[in-house]
Amino acid sequence: MSQNDSLIDKPENAVATVKVIKAGFKAIRFLADLGIHEGEKIRIVKNDIGPVIVEVKGTRVAIGRGLAGKIEV
Amino acid sequence: MPKQCPHCGKRSRFHRHRSRAMKPKLGLTNETKYSKRYGRGFKKDFNDHSIEHKIAFLGNPNVGKSSLFNILSGSHVHVGNWPGKTVEKKEGHFILSDEYFSLVDLPGAYSLSARSEEELVTRHFIVDEQPDLICVIADATRLERTLFIALQAMELTNNVAIIINMKDIAEKECINLDVGLLEEKLGVPVLYVCAYEDESIIRIKKFIYDSLHTKKYTFTPAIMMYSQKIEYMIQNISIQIADRKLLSEYPTRWVAFRILEGDRIVKDELAKEYDLADIENKIEKLAKEEQFDPAVEISKRKYGALHQIVYSAVSGYEDFKETTSDRIDKTLLHKSWGYLILIVIFAAFFLITFYASSPIITGIDWVFVQFSSWVLTSLESINSPAFLNSLLVNGVIAGIAAVLLFLPIIAIFYALIAILEDSGYLARSAYLMDKVMGKFGMQGSAFLSLIMGFGCNVAGVMATRTIKNKRERTTMIIANSFIPCAARLGVIAFLTGIFFQPWLAAIIMLLLYGVSILLVLLTGLIFKLFYESDDPLPLILELPEYRRPRFRSVMNLTWERTGIFLKKAGTFIFVASLVIWFLSNVPYVKPTENTVLLYVGMSPVIVTKVSIAEFLGRGLEAITIPLFGFSWKMVVPLIFGIPAKEVIISALSILYPGGITKVLWTIPQVISFLLFQLTYAPCFATIAVIKSETKSWKLTAVGFFYPLIVTSILTIIVFQIFSAIM
Ligand SMILES: Nc1nc2c(ncn2[C@@H]2O[C@H](COP(=O)(O)OP(=O)(O)OP(=O)(O)O)[C@@H](O)[C@H]2O)c(=O)[nH]1
Ligand SMILES: [Mg+2]
Repeated sequence: MSQNDSLIDKPENAVATVKVIKAGFKAIRFLADLGIHEGEKIRIVKNDIGPVIVEVKGTRVAIGRGLAGKIEV
Repeated sequence: MPKQCPHCGKRSRFHRHRSRAMKPKLGLTNETKYSKRYGRGFKKDFNDHSIEHKIAFLGNPNVGKSSLFNILSGSHVHVGNWPGKTVEKKEGHFILSDEYFSLVDLPGAYSLSARSEEELVTRHFIVDEQPDLICVIADATRLERTLFIALQAMELTNNVAIIINMKDIAEKECINLDVGLLEEKLGVPVLYVCAYEDESIIRIKKFIYDSLHTKKYTFTPAIMMYSQKIEYMIQNISIQIADRKLLSEYPTRWVAFRILEGDRIVKDELAKEYDLADIENKIEKLAKEEQFDPAVEISKRKYGALHQIVYSAVSGYEDFKETTSDRIDKTLLHKSWGYLILIVIFAAFFLITFYASSPIITGIDWVFVQFSSWVLTSLESINSPAFLNSLLVNGVIAGIAAVLLFLPIIAIFYALIAILEDSGYLARSAYLMDKVMGKFGMQGSAFLSLIMGFGCNVAGVMATRTIKNKRERTTMIIANSFIPCAARLGVIAFLTGIFFQPWLAAIIMLLLYGVSILLVLLTGLIFKLFYESDDPLPLILELPEYRRPRFRSVMNLTWERTGIFLKKAGTFIFVASLVIWFLSNVPYVKPTENTVLLYVGMSPVIVTKVSIAEFLGRGLEAITIPLFGFSWKMVVPLIFGIPAKEVIISALSILYPGGITKVLWTIPQVISFLLFQLTYAPCFATIAVIKSETKSWKLTAVGFFYPLIVTSILTIIVFQIFSAIM
């Protein structure tokens, strides 16, 4: 695992821990409200083209591909 | 401790006592005041129930707030599966042992930080109206996420009770919940229910009643403690604002947290009293030192605490396992099949809407024609004046008919949308379209509005409410006029049927739809260039589990949306029909040889053969013939079509009494006409909704003139090319 893997580099079904989110503060806060913040374990449900779907706290959240690329795991 | 009533010691602050309630205030008796607020029927109720409690339903999208609200109040309220779709606040009530409980169904929100429009509505209500009890609805299958907002509410007030919904699903998934332990750890009353069980109704009513009245439950919400640095900062802020005059009704700790999180609304309010620059500097310094965003840090801590609470009281969660929904998504969201399925589903969707509604429309039409002629003969038999007859039959009855003729399409359309929504597919379609729409500066959520627009632009404009981003929302409101609604489809079918072979007609129809979608997307690009965006938020969308659509949910949803449509567009269509009648019938002339009847919707408008319309049309010919190839007989229907596109066909058939034949128009003329009518102007009902949704006259003007200008330019170019080559 390299240092700067982001969500879009992860295969489907992989479980990963969020390290840092390098996005605008609005997006970061919104994600935090949904429970996606650093230290949180998430599972990549779907990652091919288009938004990435992750499982977090028992729910599925689709995250725009651009933003997903800024979530380092 | 919650504040108590000084008169009777009840926990609730806002109930009424009979003696005071009966005194008229501000010239209004309470009866009129309350019947204004709750509708006419309320008056009788209120006399018997002088104690009123205000209950708010708060919670994440899709936890079943509206479902519970519906079973409690028995009224029809929005129920669905599109995350965050209830943007309006809904009220209802129930009565238990002579007391009146008013309920408010708040839009789904993930937090009380007031970041999106829904959250703003929700926060405003909770903060400003101070309900006696906030019922936070949670979902047993995803407690950690759905209790987050409960923790936030508990920081604001003590009067929080938690209702955990979806018991049926949780039990099926073998999730075990220790309600007593949750109650103890959270420090507020907790109830565990399923919205579909009949006994839930009385259980919830009793729960709410007991929470407000008895000492059975305790309200000592667990106080969250944060890291030392944050607590220190909170202390610091608290001391500074301790004896504030503004916002003094809220806990100091809560206000301090709002400031720390950079809540603009609270800060702006306090800035009237304090100079907050010093505090802000300190917060900034703290954020830099610790390298965190205080807001994120606070959320993180809450989730941390919740994790512990939930995992101590609940067993049976299986994290990170593939669910049935995940497996279905493998197909439905597949990178190529997914789009194919999307197209098939929506193609079926449109076919069903149009084919299922057309016999009903024909039926309604028939009934109205019979009814009108019956009314007319009855009126004539009692010798009522011709002017009055015309007003009643061609104005009033025809106006009602125009509204009702619209209804089947809209109702079926909404019912199908509700099925898609309740099943969970609608959110998926937004997911699928995100990539496509993204290229044009819009998110997947804009797709829904596009789809709705094909039925009726009014519905399309109203559907933009689910779009979080202001620029995108404005774009879709304006661009909706480019989407050919059902009425314009009628014109296309009518004309292509006359001029082209069936196969060519089909191709042209598809091409026209292509053109309109292209115009929508281009509008997205143009707006992206010229419209400042306020820090665009990328797509973050919760995908609900697939569920079998419930008949009751679907009916409620259809009923409610059709109702909103009827109120908004219906009154407008009705009034417009009357206005058109007046304009064309005053001063009243008896129909003679020299006049023709022009049908506007259902209402015949009398146009003398040498009418203003012809005069106008001939005047415009000088421009329209060389540029668009429109003779005056083509211009007039387009003018009459501005208020409502249905008029175009009837106007054409009046102006061409022998019918339109191939020899009358050249092919470039036909193409030009088809293209122009496709997108040239939103109907009056759409304009009215654009105004009510944007609340801006400027944007309403843009909404009218922008399509007109774009369409004119496009049509001129296409017409010139076609007449050059043909
Ligand atoms: N199985 C089951 N389904 C439920 C229950 N309660 C609600 N639902 C379903 O959950 C879905 C969402 O319900 P809503 O009542 O619309 O949820 P809401 O919280 O009002 O959602 P928003 O208005 O989007 O915030 C609907 O499809 C309901 O039929 C329940 O107790 N059990
Ligand atoms: Mg709702």
